[in-house]
Amino acid sequence: MVSIEIDGKKIQARDGALVIEAADDAGVYIPRFCYHKKLSIAANCRMCLIEVEKAAKPLPACATPVTDGMVIFTKSPKAIDAQKGVMEFLLINHPLDCPICDQGGECELQDIAMGYGSDVSKFTEKKRVVKDKNLGPLIATDMTRCIHCTRCVRFGAEVAGVRELGATGRGEHTEIGTYITSNVSSEMSGNVIDLCPVGALTSKPFRFSARAWELVERDTIAPHDCIGSNLKVHVCNGREVVRVVPRENEAINETWISDRDRFSYEALYSDDRLKTPMLKENGAWREVDWETALQAVIVGINKTITDSGADRVGALAAPTSTLEELYLMQKLMRQMGVNNIDHRLRQLDFSDQQQAPVFPWLGQPINNLENNNAVLLIGSNVRKDQPIAAHRLRKAGVRGSKIMTLNAVDYDFYMPIMAKIITSPMDYKHQLAGIAKALLAQTKQPAPNGFEKLVSKVKITASHQAIASALVEGSVSSVLLGPQAINHPEASTLRMLAQLITLLSQSQLGYLSEAGNSVGAWMAGMLPHRVAGGKDADKTGLNALEMLHKGLRAYVLLGVEPEIESAESVIASRALNDADFVVSLTSFSSEAMRQYADVMLPIAPFAETSATFINAEGQWQSVAGVVPPLGETRPAWKVLRVLGNLFGCSGFDYITSDDVLTEVKQLTKDCQTDNTVVWCCPAPITTNSNADILVRIAEVQMYAGDSLQRRAQALQNTHDADFAAIRINKACAKKFGLKDGVKATAAQNGTEITLPVVVDDNVSDNSVLIHCGLRDSAALSTDFTPISIRPV
Amino acid sequence: MRTTKLEKKPVEVVNNSDLMLISKQSYAAIDKWIAKYHPENRQAAVIPALHIVQEENGGHLTIALMDELALYLNMPTIAVYEVASFYSMFEHKPIGKHKVSICTNISCMLRGSEEIVEHLKKKFAINLGETTTDGKFTVKEVECLGACVGAPMCLIGREYHEYLTPEKIDAILEKLE
Amino acid sequence: MKIITDYFKSLVLIELLKGLMLTGKYLFKKNVTVQYPEEKTPISPRFRGLHALRRYPNGEERCIACKLCEAVCPALAITIESEQREDGSRRTKRYDIDLTKCIFCGYCEESCPVDSIVETHIFEYHGEERSDLYMTKDKLLAVGDRYEKDIAANRAADAKFR
Repeated sequence: MVSIEIDGKKIQARDGALVIEAADDAGVYIPRFCYHKKLSIAANCRMCLIEVEKAAKPLPACATPVTDGMVIFTKSPKAIDAQKGVMEFLLINHPLDCPICDQGGECELQDIAMGYGSDVSKFTEKKRVVKDKNLGPLIATDMTRCIHCTRCVRFGAEVAGVRELGATGRGEHTEIGTYITSNVSSEMSGNVIDLCPVGALTSKPFRFSARAWELVERDTIAPHDCIGSNLKVHVCNGREVVRVVPRENEAINETWISDRDRFSYEALYSDDRLKTPMLKENGAWREVDWETALQAVIVGINKTITDSGADRVGALAAPTSTLEELYLMQKLMRQMGVNNIDHRLRQLDFSDQQQAPVFPWLGQPINNLENNNAVLLIGSNVRKDQPIAAHRLRKAGVRGSKIMTLNAVDYDFYMPIMAKIITSPMDYKHQLAGIAKALLAQTKQPAPNGFEKLVSKVKITASHQAIASALVEGSVSSVLLGPQAINHPEASTLRMLAQLITLLSQSQLGYLSEAGNSVGAWMAGMLPHRVAGGKDADKTGLNALEMLHKGLRAYVLLGVEPEIESAESVIASRALNDADFVVSLTSFSSEAMRQYADVMLPIAPFAETSATFINAEGQWQSVAGVVPPLGETRPAWKVLRVLGNLFGCSGFDYITSDDVLTEVKQLTKDCQTDNTVVWCCPAPITTNSNADILVRIAEVQMYAGDSLQRRAQALQNTHDADFAAIRINKACAKKFGLKDGVKATAAQNGTEITLPVVVDDNVSDNSVLIHCGLRDSAALSTDFTPISIRPV
Repeated sequence: MRTTKLEKKPVEVVNNSDLMLISKQSYAAIDKWIAKYHPENRQAAVIPALHIVQEENGGHLTIALMDELALYLNMPTIAVYEVASFYSMFEHKPIGKHKVSICTNISCMLRGSEEIVEHLKKKFAINLGETTTDGKFTVKEVECLGACVGAPMCLIGREYHEYLTPEKIDAILEKLE
Repeated sequence: MKIITDYFKSLVLIELLKGLMLTGKYLFKKNVTVQYPEEKTPISPRFRGLHALRRYPNGEERCIACKLCEAVCPALAITIESEQREDGSRRTKRYDIDLTKCIFCGYCEESCPVDSIVETHIFEYHGEERSDLYMTKDKLLAVGDRYEKDIAANRAADAKFR
């Protein structure tokens, strides 16, 4: 620590801290544009010039480290003079179009110009004009307003990991842009909107819709990925969400959010939004009041239970639902004797659910990801699935940590990857077994029961050795299972082998689960075999897949569209259409839903309901609703509570959602946070002989994960929301006679779909990437049923 | 199509089949420059490399050439564009056979560079930055070339010409093919 | 004594004559009343009457939806909703002034960066229903179109004091 003096205030500052940091800590304001605490120092705006005793000239506070005994004046005539001079220069070319600028009212340049600007400019020459750039559907540009602080450029290079923006030209002709016409493709690109101190980069969907002073800022949590980023929602007129920005939380999302979290609010006002309860009578839909709709639900469900029994009823919920909703749903169902309860719609392998941890979680705090020395990612496109987690891992990778992947597609992670194994999903278990075998050899530990036999035919490769030694050497190391591993047809084997690897290498097993409340769903007991708090249920019901395969008589859906969200979309569709009675608690209706449902109850999506989400690190985050529910929509917890009363269930006398939360907290207070599963030897692993079989890599398309994202127009227009296509590598394409851009037919189990082919050499051999979550590709199953492809 | 692919992917391993616009001789020359820096700092050779590539391409750079160079030097394409657009010695459009770069910075301006510029404008009937219709000359305004002692001065090809007067520059241009 | 004086005063109608004298005086003075509505008093160019939205000579509406008038309005009489028009420019999709709320302070006019919202010198307007006094964007533009000449002349007359 050094002692310095700022404006006569004696303070202690960290050794090596910059003057601006010390001043910020001491609450002394220094104007700045290019400085940002999360980005590198550029010192190119010169706005933070300050006077330092014994220094001949004013110094930039953002690039001057403190020294012991330094005496700093931020408001002395010399400092103010320097700052005013800089301001005058910055305003030379800045247009006076504040009235039509979206940044007007929240603009750093405007604010600082009020403090340091002159009312008249001495500059009489023409101002420069810069052509606007098209940076894609998310970011609107007005490059004439740019003051070249280069925050956006540094964000790209340092945080997003890909330098897409740059400062081309020189002097007055400097322009920020991509130089050639190209969209910004980063999945965190929206953050440059917040970073831009002027109105050069603004939000495109928000464009011109409101002024900063009309908006009220309210807190909420993102429901999409398992990170649970903290958000601030900007509400116009107390009823409409018009913008979403990050809320700083150093432990979770720092100051960033993904584009998914930033722009998904658009779905709240999509045409698909269900605003009144709807009832199907003789095949025709009719808008009804809540009483009629709820009565129809009671009659329908009771009739099915009397006619076919409670075990012919099933409940499916989205893992993006709130904790309260999930808890009440399973409570209601269980009280009625229904045990077929699940939220794992995309999961295929349920064989080890009895041994599963109370809640599969990340195994460590999110901010600890960056402290790892070695990380093995299995079946995870972390950059697109959980951009914030990827950013943490990237920090580790850039620092020199060893990031390793086992994937079916050679994803571009924009970080140094030490080792990667790119192979067909069928081959994952061989690779993991190989790593485990290498670890056993390296650590000389005894093999667990039956392991030798299991892996007798597996060969150890150099990659296995490298990964094994990196995990052993890393003092903090993790093995993370991504959504593609969790929803893998052989997930239990992968889990067992991954755990063996973690035990042998003394690393941490973690799950990068797919949705915002996956952990919460486990906690709340939205499972066929467990009740809230992880205790075994009295009677184990059917899991999501069985429910759809067996074709129940009635289904209760909470925020799900199983016809595209299920692992077996075709079977889901058929089961729902064949059922006698389907009630859907949903925020959105779709054509398919109108086909199979009998009652649709409009429930409030995120931001319109009080909610608790438990993120991947097990953090409980509760927020109130930020806007009133649209139309006749009601928060789902209230709907479920009333249904509980109407069904005559006990314990449904909640007054607020807090009452529900307190009850869940009470039930889950003893939950074990251990991810370990008991070793149970999987079936022997034979070498992959089916080289000719083409299997599907069932990655969920980046913006198709949940019903909100699918309806957010701007996100759907991005580069990442690719149309459904058959992605296959060059060799395979040649084998099947496919050409890039030409349509081909994919057939599986007798169903056929025709999609354009994209030849992508990042896809592994003997596999084909057809994104799921899309209506166009819903006809195909996500399991290992072989796919055949032929040109049209 | 090729450009977009490169734009998306900063590649770690350079695949020889992707490199085809720049000749082997040029790569050999670039390699000499790369060898002068630490292997991690391949990109330090970007300016000489751009010179080599520009010369080979007949005096100007194209996006495809810069993309290829970015791939070779393992740097983001935008970083190459930044460098190439910053320095006035790199051209992005085809130019004339001889590039006449006239310094208009303060020393030259005080010593009458404006007169030279006006003279050339009139002589060729073009504006600064334009090429004569016969494709022989491109007249360009540049920042200080460090020869203030002989102001006003200009750079033609690789040669400095100092103490210019309209008559002198006429004589110089006369001699050029 | 007073009683006697008062008696004589009333007898010779002195008060009446005094009053008539005043009447007589004004009978020959210059007339100050005007025959409204046939005649009108002069109005300052700064007069704040009915609102209007102006256009540029090429027909393009001036308003850019900056919402400064809405923000400054002390009576909260202005409601604006903005959007991006098809040509990419920032425009209002709704511009309403509730004249029953308006206090005619003229702040909207003062705050307008493009001289779009103005208060004309029209004060003779009426509404048969409350809703008639709710000025929508179309109505305001119509007022502006109709009186553009006068508005422009008034602005010009006042320009040197601004």
